[in-house]
Amino acid sequence: MSAAKVKMREKKMRNQPSSVQYSASPRHVESSAKHTHTHTHAHQFRTLQMQCRSDYGHLKFRASALLPRSHPSSAGAFATARASEVRTMLKATTKTTGSCHVFGALPKHMRRRAMSHNTKRLPCRLRDVANRMASSKKKKEESKGKSRKARRQHGNLLLEFNRRQRKNKWLETHIWHAKRFHMVKKWGYCLGDRPTYKCYRSSYRAMSSHCLLQDLSYYCCIELQGEEEKLLASLSQLTSKEAGPTFAAALSLSGQRQGSVDVYRAGQYPMQPLGPVTFLWRPRAQGSTHRQLWIWAHPTIKPDLLPELQTVCQCCEAVLPPAAPAVIPTEGVSALEPEPKPEKTPESKQITGTKRKQTFKDASEPSEKKILGDGTRSPTTPVTWKSSSNGIVISDLTMEIVRYRLIGPQSHSVLVETMEAATDCDPSCLWWPEHCKNESKMNLHQQQADVFHLLKGVYSTGELPSGTVLGLTVDDPRLTLPTKKVKALPCVKQEKRRELMLRGAPAHCCQSSLWESSVRDNVTVNKISNKLLNHMRSELLVPGSRLSPTPLQGRVPILLVHQPGKQVGHEMTSWGAGWDLLLPKGWGMAFWVPLVYRGVRIGGLTMSLKHSQNKGAAHFPHDYPDCPAGARFQEEQEAQLLYEFKRYPPAKRNNYIKHGCLAPFCCPWQQLAEEWELILREGGEEREEDRLTQTSTKADAVMEVATPREDVTVTKPPSRVTVLRNKKSLRLLSGWCRPTTSKGQRARRSCGVLPLDRAAMALFLSAHGMSLVWVRLSLLSKGKPELHAMVCVPTAEDLMLCGGGPQEPPHRDHFKSPFRRQKKGSKKEGKESDPAPASEPNSTAPEGPKSSLALPMGLWPDPLPSVTAHCSRVMLGWVTQGDFSLSSGRGEALGLVSVAGLLNTLFNQPAERRGTLLLRNPASLHYRVAKVNLEV
Amino acid sequence: MTEPRSPGMSSMPQTAPVHTESTSPAVEMDPVEYTLRKRLPRKLPKRRNDVYVNMKTDFRAQLARCQKLLEGGGHREICVHGLGLAINRAINIALQLQASSQGALQLAANTSTVELVDDLEPEDPDEAGEPMTRTRNNSAIHIKVFYPDPQ
Repeated sequence: MSAAKVKMREKKMRNQPSSVQYSASPRHVESSAKHTHTHTHAHQFRTLQMQCRSDYGHLKFRASALLPRSHPSSAGAFATARASEVRTMLKATTKTTGSCHVFGALPKHMRRRAMSHNTKRLPCRLRDVANRMASSKKKKEESKGKSRKARRQHGNLLLEFNRRQRKNKWLETHIWHAKRFHMVKKWGYCLGDRPTYKCYRSSYRAMSSHCLLQDLSYYCCIELQGEEEKLLASLSQLTSKEAGPTFAAALSLSGQRQGSVDVYRAGQYPMQPLGPVTFLWRPRAQGSTHRQLWIWAHPTIKPDLLPELQTVCQCCEAVLPPAAPAVIPTEGVSALEPEPKPEKTPESKQITGTKRKQTFKDASEPSEKKILGDGTRSPTTPVTWKSSSNGIVISDLTMEIVRYRLIGPQSHSVLVETMEAATDCDPSCLWWPEHCKNESKMNLHQQQADVFHLLKGVYSTGELPSGTVLGLTVDDPRLTLPTKKVKALPCVKQEKRRELMLRGAPAHCCQSSLWESSVRDNVTVNKISNKLLNHMRSELLVPGSRLSPTPLQGRVPILLVHQPGKQVGHEMTSWGAGWDLLLPKGWGMAFWVPLVYRGVRIGGLTMSLKHSQNKGAAHFPHDYPDCPAGARFQEEQEAQLLYEFKRYPPAKRNNYIKHGCLAPFCCPWQQLAEEWELILREGGEEREEDRLTQTSTKADAVMEVATPREDVTVTKPPSRVTVLRNKKSLRLLSGWCRPTTSKGQRARRSCGVLPLDRAAMALFLSAHGMSLVWVRLSLLSKGKPELHAMVCVPTAEDLMLCGGGPQEPPHRDHFKSPFRRQKKGSKKEGKESDPAPASEPNSTAPEGPKSSLALPMGLWPDPLPSVTAHCSRVMLGWVTQGDFSLSSGRGEALGLVSVAGLLNTLFNQPAERRGTLLLRNPASLHYRVAKVNLEV
Repeated sequence: MTEPRSPGMSSMPQTAPVHTESTSPAVEMDPVEYTLRKRLPRKLPKRRNDVYVNMKTDFRAQLARCQKLLEGGGHREICVHGLGLAINRAINIALQLQASSQGALQLAANTSTVELVDDLEPEDPDEAGEPMTRTRNNSAIHIKVFYPDPQ
């Protein structure tokens, strides 16, 4: 009997009473067993038995026991035995067997699949039973919610929305995005990842020839206010001049340009970086040293950055929201308006505390208001901190300001077409009429408007100086919404744009009322709702004409910030330049839809990654493994990749061990840097002995010595690996990366870079031996680099090889079968000695099995062997982003390599082939030749 | 529109700054203290029969592009533009076109001067302060290649 049959039989027998055995002599039982199911002799029970056979043939019915025998027995005993058997039989007939479906009783040709759902399809006689069964099976009635109509009513909808954004914040464009995008919950926000329609190439085209729009409102803004010197003194602890312009850079400080800087923990440079931030100073007010500074940071930096800022500014006094107006510092005065809590509008404050458990009435009343700004924060959380010693005030303006990014050469055309400078109007209680009373302010507005009109004459966004800031007040863009989607095109004019191109907007034009929190709140509160606006439109005499006069509430202060495109390297200069549009909260959708109607493409998180990849810029947090946020990201990424890997059936997974890939999901940067340092140290000692230096064969030889490196690393203090950001060193290294012939040589001579020799190398390594450096690799021939592809050193023969690239010999998977491995254990010594290609380090193999049981097959168990020497080519680093680049038409990758390794490689390469490396994908054995570019 | 993928179209902006380096006037400031960043030359709207020549794209490809415009594209005239180092190549292309057409094509060359903008970023931003912009001029050539009107 097959296993399936046995199982089926067991299932059928589950509910059956066990067969009755009348105690008899063993011989008797044996003989009776033979006659099971034979009904020839059982004439008394024939009819019954026939019935049994048809339905209950499985019942072991000892027919033979019923037969009158010559065996002497009392009539009483015989009767009891029969009685018990009859009882069993009756019991068996009343109970259903096998599957409990009623239609099991139907012959096969009458069964229909739909019967299991709809009992009315059953014959009448079975319907009752089926109904009874169905009702018993259904555990609970689904709680009947409100009708769709009720659910879709405005108030109820808002309630539901407010409930859903308690955990993850929604941007103002959330609903718009949720209809069109794959949404992801990231960093405490719901963000659009990528559109549901196909748009990869068209988005790229938009970025390179028209305009791509993104909602970047999830970026966190932190506002600092205080005396200029004190602010600068505090902030200087976080940055270093060696890594480029700081907060004090002259142009940024004047407020004319946006600056960007890498922030470190106080006084820790070059260790412990936090991440990149951009910042914007408010232009100076006349005769006041009080300054205002906005620091824009990625949401994953904020938890680290905010405490650090509080420490350096000595702002430890949290100002509770209700007490806010009382604590305004008195020194800055004139420039500083009395600042009510920038935190949130009063209605949103009441919402957040309400619990679902509360009675409906309590909860519903306040939360029917739309949440503006940060809905997840409890109203008692302090958002402002002030210092008693130096008067600096830090406030957290997260979600207070909407930030849109327009990328592409035509983004200024889109802006110019969407927005119009505000027209002035009669005084009333709103902010703009008040503003209009002031003559100087109106002059300023006029000048800003002029500059804005000049933008129209510019052909490409990249022509403007990078980081230019322009403040402006515009009319409500909903008023000029075109009836159809149009494509904004430039109209080039020659006159007067020269000054704008050379200097950017003049200093005083960078002022905007957006800096004033009172104005922001006023604008947010007084925004006309869409409904009202549409109603006003519908009452126009000529349908589709513009509303006039413009409603008083429709004046919005904005800031336009130019974003530089590709700045490094020689190709594709200023690709991906664009504008950032900063708005007061609540106005997000009012500007979003008009922008969309100007023919822009919309991008999500994926597109911003591609943007920075094409720009050749590091993307946060992917490319910052030395920052806490970057480290966290790597962990998440590893978990995600491992999860995806495990979802494949085992036979369809890549065996990364066989591909010689140690770390397909997570890159052990620390180990890499340590190993390279060790290699160089050993190499140095070796060089003392004999002056012979060879390419990487030497490194290979060293590796053998370095294999028992565990003891060395344990004794060393755990120094964290950092990414090299010192501009001077980077420039030096960049010069060394280029081949010394042709174009590169000329550039080098003009730069006056000192040649790469042993002394220079030693000097460089003493300073940055443990660092990583961020490089761009462009493939010379075919191939598409992937995430975590390995960057390797070519051997001398590889450099001679033209076409294709070398192949990695396949590795052997020692962990594949622990059982087989144990059997082979005795033969192992023999195995090791054979010239297996780049054989696995022996030291780690034996300790593998325990941990490898937990890991899926095809991955290395945790104590990784030497990462550099694992393959036939020595490893330098890993790729963090790689793809086919539409801008260069080849595969391009951005990755991090060890400085020590890179320098050693460059030093050993012939001068004309300098900077050639190999690239190998994790699931491939083919090395591709790539050129390394280090652009400063 | 101009698509950087095919640099033949928007050629002039991309290569020209690199090659005009030698022609730039002597800099009065210490070169170590400033980083030179060249901005793109100003772009002008481009008609279909404008060809901007660069030094990066293969010469034959650019020539073939022009031929295609004249023969298959149905244009009576095309305009070949070259800036800086690419002037030579622009002339070369125009002459090749004329030679291959057995005298059917005529040339009309114009020269002009293009103003280019450089940004000078101080390496030590806090001390030296002011980043500078400077303008310099570079030569450009615009060759009209056309079939003369039959009279």
